[in-house]
Amino acid sequence: MIKSLRFFIPGIIVLIFSVSCEHATKKEAAADEKGAPEDSLSRKAVIKYARGFSIDYHDHYKLVRVLNNLTGKTDTLQYLLVQRGNPVPAGYPKAQVITIPVRTIIGMSSMHIALADFAEVADRITGLGSLQYVTSPEVRKNIKAGKIAQVGLDGNINKELILSMHPDVLMDMGNPEAGFGRYKTITDGGVPVLLNVEWLETSPLGRAEWVKLMAALVNKEELVNKKFDSLAQDYDKLATLGRGATIKPRVIISMPFKGSWFVPAGESYMAQFLRDAGANYKWSDSKGTGSLALNFETVAPEALMADYWLNVGYVDTKADIAAKDQRFTSFNPFKTDRVYNNNKQVNDIGSNDYWESGAVKPQVILADMIRILHPELLPDHSLMYYKQLK
Amino acid sequence: MVAIPHKKLRLAALLLLLLIVFMLDIAIGSIKIPLRQVFRSIFSLPGENTIGQYIIEKIRIPKAFTAVLAGCGLSVSGLQMQTLFRNPLADPSVLGITAGASLGVAMIMLAGGSIATLDTIKELGISGSWLIIGAACMGAAGIMLLVVSISGSLSDNVMMLIVGIMISTITLSIISIWQYFSAPELIKDYLLWTFGSLGGVTGNQLYILALAVVAGLIISFLSSKLLDALLLGENYARSMGLTTQRARVIIICSTSLLAGSITAFCGPIGFIGIAVPHMARSLFNTSSHRILIPGCCLIGTLLMLSCDIIAHMPGSQTVLPINIITALVGAPAVIWIILRRNNIRGY
Repeated sequence: MIKSLRFFIPGIIVLIFSVSCEHATKKEAAADEKGAPEDSLSRKAVIKYARGFSIDYHDHYKLVRVLNNLTGKTDTLQYLLVQRGNPVPAGYPKAQVITIPVRTIIGMSSMHIALADFAEVADRITGLGSLQYVTSPEVRKNIKAGKIAQVGLDGNINKELILSMHPDVLMDMGNPEAGFGRYKTITDGGVPVLLNVEWLETSPLGRAEWVKLMAALVNKEELVNKKFDSLAQDYDKLATLGRGATIKPRVIISMPFKGSWFVPAGESYMAQFLRDAGANYKWSDSKGTGSLALNFETVAPEALMADYWLNVGYVDTKADIAAKDQRFTSFNPFKTDRVYNNNKQVNDIGSNDYWESGAVKPQVILADMIRILHPELLPDHSLMYYKQLK
Repeated sequence: MVAIPHKKLRLAALLLLLLIVFMLDIAIGSIKIPLRQVFRSIFSLPGENTIGQYIIEKIRIPKAFTAVLAGCGLSVSGLQMQTLFRNPLADPSVLGITAGASLGVAMIMLAGGSIATLDTIKELGISGSWLIIGAACMGAAGIMLLVVSISGSLSDNVMMLIVGIMISTITLSIISIWQYFSAPELIKDYLLWTFGSLGGVTGNQLYILALAVVAGLIISFLSSKLLDALLLGENYARSMGLTTQRARVIIICSTSLLAGSITAFCGPIGFIGIAVPHMARSLFNTSSHRILIPGCCLIGTLLMLSCDIIAHMPGSQTVLPINIITALVGAPAVIWIILRRNNIRGY
């Protein structure tokens, strides 16, 4: 029986990481792309919201640092993005070298599909951790055509396949503190591994801003800057609206399972969404960027009195919720029909676009939330990612 | 220990202690609820505070009763396994019953990709938690049938032990393969299930669990004599006119009922099954199952309730997986007993 304990450590890691995995769709019509040619370094990305990475521009290369601000340490991972055909600059012994613009990408999470889609380079994805969680029509088309390989996730990565594909870069979610140990075979084989920690960002805009890292990889800074500035502007406008709401409804998030209730911590991007949407969220001031593991009875008093219940997980109807646990039917949002789930865009293969394109469309998610919590503020908006459970 | 020689006195003292811990488990929690309110809720008097009442009635009381049932069932099935196999390391999981229940749950939880299967099952009107419980019971029962049918053609209990462990290993491997090909979010739910939990059993589920556990305990208590005879060796048991194979089938059935139902409702909870029988033998200084079975029930329940209190870490808002606490508390307890007596009784 002790055997079940060995599940614990990987389990916790899965829990932490899964706060943010998954998926994306095709963007608004492409902004004009007649900017800089791909081989130019003339445009620069300026990072305004994201705290997890930085980009320094030099004459023929870019220096990317993936930071870990959680522990106060900085500079744990360095990447040299060197323009194709140029020598690798000296003085960065610890840095991995990525030749840009990258032509082939292996992405491990649906977030990476969204980043590539946003930068309009989704066709450069040649491998994915799992082919099951994809929404982007372009990527799905390429999967159908057999152009994208499944390379496996986490401990099950097929290293031989990755090395034989030899992509220009492999993106994975990871903790910079963990270092490259588990990727050593891959990096030794000459495939750079870029770890993204976008799930540690404390704001939705910070999370979405990781598109600028993708932009740096493919020299599309100008296009991405323009698109990102426009979405950030929309987001800020909506946030001003939401934060200004006079009545702030009480909101609970997610669903308890077997006595544990994982709710977003106060410094998570989800908590920021709730503040910007004008919600009253009880754990808004708590520490931490992931989720809080609370017990059922700690959240129950809030759940019984709340006005809205959001992101309820893998359920489609109120009957599903009641079947999970009869006790949930006593919650006020359940009784007053104010339960909303973020699974409106689940496609035929069970992939939820909220986790894919939603990651780079925070303004749409925020608009959905404001529409739900304050219908009078956005009467014309129709829900994109959320749906009301009946 | 010698101060109170009478075994029944010790049973009574344990019972009293158990009542106190049971009340403590209900009274202590993350949310502070005044004692008066606690008593009002327990005795279903009209309460002033509806939230407090909800927490006591819907969360803490079902959890405490689940702890009682799981504590009794797991420790008694552990005792039976140790006696049947005359092996101090045997516990309910050696037969593969818990692994079977896990396989059932994995089939449901990790099958998210093949939605067709799930929809078919949903049309039968079963969903949510009942679906998981049903699957776990089917898994446990399936493995049990396999074990029982093999046990019919084996003459030796040691061979039975090896076969049980092999079946368990095969079952866990099948689950691992399934996990390998499943999506991370589905694996997350499954992992949470494997941590074990007392907090997910409510309403009608509690009655059904109680029914299964009480039935298992009755079979077990009625077979105390069989167990006593088995302890003296299979040859002796045979000379007493006992068909060892029939005894084995009865014991395997009651263990499966106990361990299978508890695993189905609570997830795999480790260590109680190994540790408690040793504690009971040490405390009651006997190998008579008429004493050991109630003794195991009391100690198992006491330990389970204490572990639940610790898991909820009074004053904090979080809960630790019960599986970790039972091992953390159970292992040192067993070491202490071994050091104290310098032997393991009863074999």
